[in-house]
Amino acid sequence: MSASRIRYLLLSSSLLYLLACSPAYRQMQPATGDVSTLQKFKPAFGTALYRTRVDVVGNHLSGLLLIKKMPDSSLRLVFSNEMGFTFFDFEFATNGNFKVYSVVKQMNKKAVLKTLRKDFELILMQRLGNTTTAIRKNNASIYYVFQQTKGYNYYITDSTGNTLVQMERVSKKKAVVEAIMKDYTNGIPDTIGITHKTFNFTIGLKRIEQ
Amino acid sequence: MHKVFISLVFLLTVFFAKAQYPGYTPVSDPAKFKVDFSVATQKATSIKSDFTQEKNMAMLSEKIISKGKFWFKKESQVRMEYSQPYQYLMILNKDKVYVKDGQKENKISTSSNKIFQQINKLMIDCMQGTALNNPDFTTRVFENKNMAMVELTPVTKVLKKLFKSINIVVDKKDFSVSTIDMIEISGDNTLMRFINKELNVSIADSLFIIK
Repeated sequence: MSASRIRYLLLSSSLLYLLACSPAYRQMQPATGDVSTLQKFKPAFGTALYRTRVDVVGNHLSGLLLIKKMPDSSLRLVFSNEMGFTFFDFEFATNGNFKVYSVVKQMNKKAVLKTLRKDFELILMQRLGNTTTAIRKNNASIYYVFQQTKGYNYYITDSTGNTLVQMERVSKKKAVVEAIMKDYTNGIPDTIGITHKTFNFTIGLKRIEQ
Repeated sequence: MHKVFISLVFLLTVFFAKAQYPGYTPVSDPAKFKVDFSVATQKATSIKSDFTQEKNMAMLSEKIISKGKFWFKKESQVRMEYSQPYQYLMILNKDKVYVKDGQKENKISTSSNKIFQQINKLMIDCMQGTALNNPDFTTRVFENKNMAMVELTPVTKVLKKLFKSINIVVDKKDFSVSTIDMIEISGDNTLMRFINKELNVSIADSLFIIK
């Protein structure tokens, strides 16, 4: 048996294991579909500014998040407080690379950076074409499953595929992060929400015009 | 030889000061400036002003412009109300900070937060004219015909990681603050301009109450 076939079987079985273990997805059936249908939900950032609110284990933080598409198509995310002081400046390259240009000492921890990277990768949807997918569905929803280094990213649309209902970061057994993007204007979502399910951490973004 | 060396150092200092801050030269008598600054600001018991804030992100060629209203009242009371493009309120009252972001209110005791404590002190010092005495910074002073600029360079560990320098421009006629430019280590900066300034007007204490 070829190595690629073994990899395929391992991947298929791990996806099946995931789908079988998760109660929310137990009723879903394998389905065929076109992953490219998700492209219409991928935010078409040029430059966008968001009022940002972060609540993490009882602490509240607010500020502004600027998202800008650079000439090489990478995305820069700069989060600063209302008085202009920068909390972080991250780059998400189209090849999946992640670069930290600056981060305040309080946030400069491996776990924090990893969490923020994964959260933003989920909503930026930059690498949908580069990872293996499975598609499942039930009466109400279609689930597009993308394998990550650890766990999976789920993009869940309604049964018609016209509305992005929710995005999820899923570990082996359950959703650890749920996210929404809605009210698109010219391809850019007006509202973005990220909620962690395993600890008290939410990020809320509301687009503002300058 | 000694005189030549001193002259050379002086010329180099002037040259680099000019190169660093076009239009400004080092003040000839920093001690006198410090006294004049202190005397003038002692007379200012309150300041009411509009402000614009411009955050420049050099590498991204982007800027974020905010606007709002500013109040200062002796001793140590500041209120900043951002109204565009977002609503945000911050009150500094002695060692307390209150922020209101939408419906979310937050009270911070600066005594338990070193960064807020130092930034709080800086803001108050700028308005009270005591910035030149702030031990958290080394200072240099430059001037042109109408304005003076105080360059504050952090010396404390906490502030050194946040700012390259903070430059305060004051109007020489009344020593009121015209701009505060906070320059971050990355080279990005945030420039606050105070416009429509009214000095020594009556300001209600209720504006600074932190409940």
